[in-house]
Amino acid sequence: MFVSRSMTQKVITTGPETDVFDAYEKMLQNRIRHLPVTDADGRLIGIVTDRDIRSALPYSLIKDSSRKAEAEKVKDLKVMDIMTADPKTIGPHHTLQDALLLIQELRVGALPVVDKAGRLKGIISVRDLLRAFINVLGFGEPGTLLCVLVEDKVGQLKKIVDAITAEGISFGSVLVARYFEKDKRAVFPYLLTQNVARIKRKLKEMGYTLVDPLEWYLDELPKYDRK
Amino acid sequence: MRKTGFLYDERFLLHETGPYHPEIPERLTAIYHGIKESGLLPKLFCIRAQPAQRRWIETVHDSAYIDRFGDVCFSGKKIFEHPDNQMCSNTYETALLAVGGILQTIDMLMTGKIDNAFCAVRPPGHHAERDQAMGFCYFNNVAIAARYLQQNWQIQKVGIIDFDVHHGNGTQHIFEQDPSVFYYSIHEHPTFAYPGTGREFEFGSGPGYGFTKNNPVLPGQGDTEYSALVEENLVKDFEQFQPDFVLVSAGFDGHKDDDMSDINLTTEWYSWVMKRIMEIADRHCNGRIISVLEGGYCLRRLPELARNHVAALLDE
Repeated sequence: MFVSRSMTQKVITTGPETDVFDAYEKMLQNRIRHLPVTDADGRLIGIVTDRDIRSALPYSLIKDSSRKAEAEKVKDLKVMDIMTADPKTIGPHHTLQDALLLIQELRVGALPVVDKAGRLKGIISVRDLLRAFINVLGFGEPGTLLCVLVEDKVGQLKKIVDAITAEGISFGSVLVARYFEKDKRAVFPYLLTQNVARIKRKLKEMGYTLVDPLEWYLDELPKYDRK
Repeated sequence: MRKTGFLYDERFLLHETGPYHPEIPERLTAIYHGIKESGLLPKLFCIRAQPAQRRWIETVHDSAYIDRFGDVCFSGKKIFEHPDNQMCSNTYETALLAVGGILQTIDMLMTGKIDNAFCAVRPPGHHAERDQAMGFCYFNNVAIAARYLQQNWQIQKVGIIDFDVHHGNGTQHIFEQDPSVFYYSIHEHPTFAYPGTGREFEFGSGPGYGFTKNNPVLPGQGDTEYSALVEENLVKDFEQFQPDFVLVSAGFDGHKDDDMSDINLTTEWYSWVMKRIMEIADRHCNGRIISVLEGGYCLRRLPELARNHVAALLDE
């Protein structure tokens, strides 16, 4: 789960002296929101986002490119004038979890990936992370999600996994999440089968509560704050 | 009162799925006895099945897939492609028979011998993809029926209504680019239920965009939510599409007593939806409906559900 495996490697970049309009055109053409800014040696010196550009240019200029007079006033604006210099970066050997936590903390949409020499190796965006976590969650494959409520003590997951394994069912993923009740955890096995009636009965017989997923709202959990 | 066909063949029981599998021959005997004991059988045109010709299977499935299915089946293996797909040496022929029976039923309807029909077949079909068996399904019965209607009977627009509690991924994918087949499915939300497709934002693609509609329903919900979605989506979509023929993927596994899902539909809802589908078909295509069994695993409820299903089709 390294950043290098999930990042976009073919990064579209721009230079510090580039005209802001040209940079914006590049974003539109490639349908991207972040342009890392590199020097002649491929070293990262900044990043410019579509929001930086929209803040710098009057709204009417973006809407209506025929308004030459107003365009004149900002035509000398270069990328270096509006970019974020020395942006926060991440390394290719950081993990996806690192990227996820850092993106959440910094409230950015993407992080440039640079090596130790400061050279740009890629970019990892919220989109890249989503794709990686869809893979981790396993729901790209057909299956059924169970929600099992367990006491928060060691060994619970083993019993559930053993019971499912004994049925010959393969796992897409198993997630463990906090539950609103103290001392309880919600276990979410994603099972790669349609045939779940028997295992559901078996888990109930083992004394587990199968939670009605409607009672499990992510939003009601306390917000996770790293500060 | 209508002339209603009933496809049932004891050879559909020969597809055996081994121990601990819900898709068992007893499902069909429960359905057959439910209809028989209600006294409706003499009112129905009973149809026995003949195997389908391979060329009709090939309108939907890759030739290599059909070969592979046959080879694996006759080699005596008990699993085809995934542990969900348990089988025996009769499975391939039973699957051919199920398709063939449905095609004969179509012939009877198109030649005016019947007005509509219920096909109580095994194995089911709506999860079967062009080149892959999935979720107890091998040949996509309803998809082949749609292609047969178009190619053998020059029916132009086929509307498929799938109320099995699981999304019919196979049917959707086979027709997703095809504006001549409208696929409507209402099912338990794919975040919780097999097979994980059929999300609200899947509408088909290319020229078929807008000819797929999915109504996912959250676990724990039932008649009220289902009926509202059917009125708001199916009825309006078919009003616009104006199908020339209606095929139903009839799965009864959303019943509250069926432990394959967490949807809480009542027996009455299944009668209601069938009457509503009859009204839609009457309006657009002279009541031409062929309903094909998909899931439904509660042996205690299947007799009444099947009885009410054919009673609705008979429209006495």
